[in-house]
Amino acid sequence: MKIKIIGLLMATIISANYSFGATIHVVTTTMDTKSITEIIGGNKVDVFSIATGYQNPHFVDPKPSYIIKLSTADLYVTLGLDLEAGWSPSLLTASRNVKIQRGADAYVDASVGVALMQVPSSINRAEGDIHAFGNPHYWLDPANGKIIARNICNGLEKVSPENRGYFEANLKIFDEQIDAKMRAWSAEMAVFRGAKVIAYHNEWVYFETRFGLHIVDFMEPKPGIPPTPSQLVKIIKEVKENNIKVIITSPYFTASSSDVVSQQTGAKTLVMATSVGAFPSIKTYYDLFDYDLKLLTSGLR
Amino acid sequence: MAIKKILLFLMLFATIKVQAQKTQAQVDSAKNDSLMLLKVQEQMQQSQPAPAQPAHTGASANPDISVIGDFRGLYRSYGKHNFDAVLNEAEFSFQSVIDPYARADFFYSVSEDPATGKFSGEVEEGYLTTLALPAHLQLKAGRFKQSLGRLNLVHPHALPFIDMPDVYVNFFGEEGLKGDGFSLSWLIPNPAFYQELTFEATDVDPSSPTFERSTANNYLYLAHMRNFWDLSANSTIEFGLTGLTGENILGMRTNLGALDFTYKWKPVQFNTYKQFTFQNEVYFSHAQQVNNSIVNALGFYSMLYTQVDKRTFLTGRFDYSNAPFDNSFIQQSGSLTLGWEATEFQKIEIEAKYTTMNQPMIQYNNEKNFASAYLRWIFVIGSHGAHRY
Repeated sequence: MKIKIIGLLMATIISANYSFGATIHVVTTTMDTKSITEIIGGNKVDVFSIATGYQNPHFVDPKPSYIIKLSTADLYVTLGLDLEAGWSPSLLTASRNVKIQRGADAYVDASVGVALMQVPSSINRAEGDIHAFGNPHYWLDPANGKIIARNICNGLEKVSPENRGYFEANLKIFDEQIDAKMRAWSAEMAVFRGAKVIAYHNEWVYFETRFGLHIVDFMEPKPGIPPTPSQLVKIIKEVKENNIKVIITSPYFTASSSDVVSQQTGAKTLVMATSVGAFPSIKTYYDLFDYDLKLLTSGLR
Repeated sequence: MAIKKILLFLMLFATIKVQAQKTQAQVDSAKNDSLMLLKVQEQMQQSQPAPAQPAHTGASANPDISVIGDFRGLYRSYGKHNFDAVLNEAEFSFQSVIDPYARADFFYSVSEDPATGKFSGEVEEGYLTTLALPAHLQLKAGRFKQSLGRLNLVHPHALPFIDMPDVYVNFFGEEGLKGDGFSLSWLIPNPAFYQELTFEATDVDPSSPTFERSTANNYLYLAHMRNFWDLSANSTIEFGLTGLTGENILGMRTNLGALDFTYKWKPVQFNTYKQFTFQNEVYFSHAQQVNNSIVNALGFYSMLYTQVDKRTFLTGRFDYSNAPFDNSFIQQSGSLTLGWEATEFQKIEIEAKYTTMNQPMIQYNNEKNFASAYLRWIFVIGSHGAHRY
C-alpha cells in the first residue's frame, strides 16, 4: 500500500513538472507588455495581462482573481516607475510566489534602460499626481518598445535558458519590424511636425517627442485633477489663439469636458489608444501606433 | 499488482518525457564534471544588458511612510455636551519588504479621548508577512486585525461611512477585533475561482466586548474561508465564512459564526467614475454564561454604496444587533453617508444616522431613540499602501 502511495505521489510530481515545464506562464501588468512578450516568447509562452487596454493603468482594482494567475506565474512583467504602485505590490504579496517578487530573476521591470522624461527634482503633491521616477508612459514611444522587448527577452532567458536562441531571434525580428515601421510612421507624421494639440492628461510626452507634436496644454489643470471651469475657459482661449485642430484624450476619460471645448472652438476630440486592446482592431504593439497615427493625421488634416 | 505496474509505467513515461524536454546543452552537461560550471556558463552567455538606467531620484531604502489624519465633528440628539470636534485619530504607517522572504507593516495610532481631550497611542497593527513559504502558504505574525468578515480588516479611514456598524461595536468594539499571534493562510489551488483558507490563533485586544484576553492559555481561534468569483469583467461576488471560538468576558466560552456576501459592479473602462457595491455581514454568537446557560445573539448590517460621479459617493446602511450576552436587547439603525473625494489623498464625508432600541442604555443617556450626525475629514501625506479589493 505504501509503495502504491509513494509511486502515485512521484508520478504526480514528475507529471506536474513535465506539464508545467513546457509553457512559460507570464503575467504582465498591461496589454502592451503582453503583446511584446507574445512576440518575443512566441509559442513558448502563455501570457495574461492584468489591465485591459481600455483601462487607466494607474487605477486597476486588485481583484483576488488576479492572485490565482500570479501564484503560478513563471515570469512577471511590470512597467515600473510606480505606474502600478496603487495595486501591483499588494497583488504580488498575496501571490505567495517567491519567484516573481521584486528583485527576483522572474521579476522584469520593463523600464530599465529607458531614458526617462519629466523626472521631478522634488515631489510636491500640490502639483497633482507627480511620479517620483519620471513620466511612466514611456511605452508610447516605439523606440522604447525595443528597450522593453530587450528587458522581457532577458527575463525569458533567465527562466528558460534553453530557449535563448529562439527568444533572441524573435527579438531581432521585433527590432527590425519596429525600425521599419518607425520609418513609415515618421514619414506619415513628417508634414505635421510641430502641430499644436491639447491633451487631456499628461501621458503623451514620449509620443509627442518621438513624432514631433507640440502639446500646448492639458484639460486637467494638474495631473489627476479633473478639468475645472476655469481650466476649460483657458483651454478654449488657447485653442482659438493657436488655431488648434485636435484634442487628444484616452478611452478611460469621459468626454464631457472635451466636448465643451470642441463645441466652443470646433476642435476635434480624438480618443487615442494608450494601449494594445484599447479598441478591437488594435491587437499588437505595432497596431497601437498604426491606429493612433492614422487617427491623428486624419484629425490634423 | 496490476496497479503497481500501471504506476511504474506512468513514472517511467513521465520521466522519459521530462528527459525529452532537456536541451542539447543539458545533455552535454552530463559530460562535464560540474553542473554548476555549466550553469555559470549559461548565465554568462544569456541576458544582454539593457542600456544603463538613468539614476532614479528619490530612490531610498526607507520604508513607505505615511500619516493619515482623521478629524471628526459629531452631533447627538441627547446630552448636554452634544456637539464635539476631535482629531479622532492620527495613523502613522511604515511599510516595506524586509528581505526576499518577508515584508513588514506597522500602523501606530494616536487617538483623542473626546471626554478629556487627551491623546493616547498604541500599535494598532505590527506584523510580518512571509513571501516565500511553499505550497501557496503565507504566515503572518505579530499584532493584526483578524480575518473576520469584510470590514474588520479595513482601516477606518478607508470605510465608506464614518461609524462602524452596530454589530461590530456591540460584538467587538469600536475598532473591531484584533490581537497578537499567528495567521496562516492557504491559497487553495483552484483555477476556477479564488479561494483562501485562513487559520488564526491570537490573544485578544482587551477592549473586545465578546472575547476576553485570557489569563490562562485560552486563545482565540479563527477560521475564515474567502471565496471570490468574477461574474464578468465589470462585476464580482465574494462570499465568506468565519468561525471563532475563545474565552468570553465571563471566563466561559463563546463560539461565533459569520457570513459575508458582497456584490460589486465597477466598469473597467470607467472605474474611476462609477461603481456600485452591495455588502452584507451576519454574525451569530453562541455565548456560554457562568451558570452554563447559553445566549444566542444575532447582528447584521446591509450596505449599498454607489459612486455618483468622479468625486462623489453615497452610502446607505441598515444595522440590526443584539448584545452578545442579551438577545432581548435589539438595536436598529439606518444611516446615509455622502462623501466627496478631492483626490486619493483627501476626502470629506457627512453621515446622518437614526437609532432605535427596545431598551435604554446608559451610554446613550438612557435614550431609546436618538439621532446622530458625523462629519469626517480624512487627509493623507506620504506613501500609503493599497487597500484590499
